[in-house]
Amino acid sequence: MSEPLPALRLVGLCKHFGRPAVDHLDLTVRQGELYALLGPNGAGKTTTLRMVAGLLAPDAGKVELLGVDLAHEPARAKQGIAYLPDEPMLYAKLKPTEYLEFVAGLWGVEAGVAEARARHLLDWLDLTRHAHELTEGFSRGMKQKLALAGALIHEPQLLILDEPLTGLDAAAARQVKDLLLDHTRKGGTVLLTTHILEVAERMAQRIGIIQHGKLIAEGTLEQLRGQTADAADGATLEDIFLQLTGQA
Amino acid sequence: MKLRPGGSLWLLRHELRLYYFRMGITKAGTARRGLSRGNLILMALALVALHGFAVFLMRPFDQDYNASALVAIGATVMLAIVFTMMVSQGLKSSIDVLFERGDLDLLLSSPLPSRSIFMVRLAAVVIGTAALYLFLMAPFANAGLILGHARALAVYPVVLGMAAVAASLSMLLTLALVRLVGIRRTRVLAQVLGALMGALIFLISQVYANSGNSAQQTLGAWIDRHTAAGAPFGPDSLLWTPGRAVLGEPLSILAIAALGLAAFFLTANFTHGFFVRGVQQAVSLVKNAAAPAGGPRYRFGRSLAVTVLLKEWRLILRDPQLISQVLLQLLYLLPLCFMLVFKASTVVPGLGASLTFLCTSLTTALAWLIIAAEDAPDLLRTAPAPPSIVAGAKLAAAVAPALVLMAAPLLWVAWRQPVSAILLALCVTGASTSAALLVRWGAVPAARGDFRRRAAGSMVSNILEWGGAMLWAGLSWVLMALAQPGQVSLWVALAGAALFVLLFVLMALAWARRQRTP
Repeated sequence: MSEPLPALRLVGLCKHFGRPAVDHLDLTVRQGELYALLGPNGAGKTTTLRMVAGLLAPDAGKVELLGVDLAHEPARAKQGIAYLPDEPMLYAKLKPTEYLEFVAGLWGVEAGVAEARARHLLDWLDLTRHAHELTEGFSRGMKQKLALAGALIHEPQLLILDEPLTGLDAAAARQVKDLLLDHTRKGGTVLLTTHILEVAERMAQRIGIIQHGKLIAEGTLEQLRGQTADAADGATLEDIFLQLTGQA
Repeated sequence: MKLRPGGSLWLLRHELRLYYFRMGITKAGTARRGLSRGNLILMALALVALHGFAVFLMRPFDQDYNASALVAIGATVMLAIVFTMMVSQGLKSSIDVLFERGDLDLLLSSPLPSRSIFMVRLAAVVIGTAALYLFLMAPFANAGLILGHARALAVYPVVLGMAAVAASLSMLLTLALVRLVGIRRTRVLAQVLGALMGALIFLISQVYANSGNSAQQTLGAWIDRHTAAGAPFGPDSLLWTPGRAVLGEPLSILAIAALGLAAFFLTANFTHGFFVRGVQQAVSLVKNAAAPAGGPRYRFGRSLAVTVLLKEWRLILRDPQLISQVLLQLLYLLPLCFMLVFKASTVVPGLGASLTFLCTSLTTALAWLIIAAEDAPDLLRTAPAPPSIVAGAKLAAAVAPALVLMAAPLLWVAWRQPVSAILLALCVTGASTSAALLVRWGAVPAARGDFRRRAAGSMVSNILEWGGAMLWAGLSWVLMALAQPGQVSLWVALAGAALFVLLFVLMALAWARRQRTP
């Protein structure tokens, strides 16, 4: 039986901003997994995600989303993804329902399907009672949850999230984490960056560590322990991360 | 000078620094603090030129500086005009220092007395309000001094006194509005009031200019009768005190200065409590509309173009500040409408040109908001939606309002001159469309809040936008002139052809240097 297409494949990806931000990066994310991309500040995580989302053109290399080359067929490649940056992409003067209508329109979701998903997502994220309010009055957590609802309205195969838990309270963070796990349980794929290593440790099937634009380690937590010279059996992801990035 | 940290003067210096920093322009997304060196040099040169102009203008009065009663009346009228503009400026500044700057929490949580904070903030509004008028009028005071008329220095206390009254009035009005209608509506009302005050004199002058000879004569006679010696508003009336003050009469100067000081201190003393409690409470109070019965209503299933169009209009219609700023441009349509109603048979070409120009400026403003100030450009770029449909819908959203507004004047022209109406419709549509395209091709991404400073984005784009507006206005004038009976001439036709070619070149130039904007 043939191997299913990877959700994401990066081949020799490069981006320079005066200095190399992403340097010949090869990375594969399998369908149905939650992949955490970790790295110190300025390591190239956000630049990588922005290239995957089609917001930045790579200087060299290739981005394949579910087997579709992003550079050659951008519309088809983008159909199956959703990108959620650390600052939610919202409109202050729109209501949640109107925002979801707009996003569903951009992805061409059929009306009946979109309405059912919108109702479900707003209910699940406790936003239904705020559905008639403008988002400008929302808290950080509510904004993040609404952006997530927008990202999920077209049921993307690959969900790309940059620091999705920044600034969220415990309850909102739990809801977002549950939603991501549910997405992978249903066969969806999640690629996220985070500075909260416990989240990566508990949620991610595989973890990639990036530094100076290069992937320096990758694998499950056990595999990462194996790649770290001094890691003890019970070493946490934090210990491993600090050793691998030379910050220990 | 080293000022004691935490003192009122120290705080005032901080306020004035912030005021100066906000004069800086935003270019391609990067903020500049204060004025650029080039602008400072330009201002210095303008100041020198103004002094020279003032000396030249005042030299004939070298021997005789005695102010006649009539001069005082004229000066008062001028100062009244200045005062309305000061109130307009004061309202904008009050909104800015109360709501926009966002540093009140920091200041009020510090150990500084709230009275000092409010007093300093009000003082900064006074200085900010007076600054422009001092810049324009101080050269005349200094020129008077050079020519030996020390009384000309009265300009300083009079302008400052008037600014103090205007700033206090604006602050009281803003705070009263907060109490009556809440923060959100106060922003709208204050902006609209400010815009109306700023345009008031223009509108009155236009109504007067278009009111016909008999009405003007009647008004002139009425003014003569009521300002004659012994009449209620005769030369000795208290009403003309500001004019007498600016001409150097000591008692009048004292009266204006005292009025300014009284307004300032009474406002600061009696309203600082409300300033602290009321404004802070209002800011933290988020009023939400009641949830509609039956849960949220969805309107999925619209086409992509309609979805984008609706989103753009919603964002503009729900931003009262932006609406008031755009409405200011529409205020200037009113005099044109008067002319259209009363003088359509004789001035159609001029009206056509003016309406075309106004259409382009309205479309340019809306297109900037819709295209350059897109809130979530990354969302559009990550979506698989065809960029051509999104861009087309955005252009339509920018062009349609101007065309809708033009419908009534067009119908009026059509009733009187059908051929002119068709030509005007063509010009207005072409002008609006090209205005939106020019913005799309030259737009530099920016925040909506920078709307008033959008002209600082790119000089070339501005020149192209203004050039486009002027060329379309010219073309409209020529075409409508050609449609008038007996107006057809070879030279006018050639001028029209030349304008058309220039427009084509301008659009080609803009297209060649277009930016990639979602």
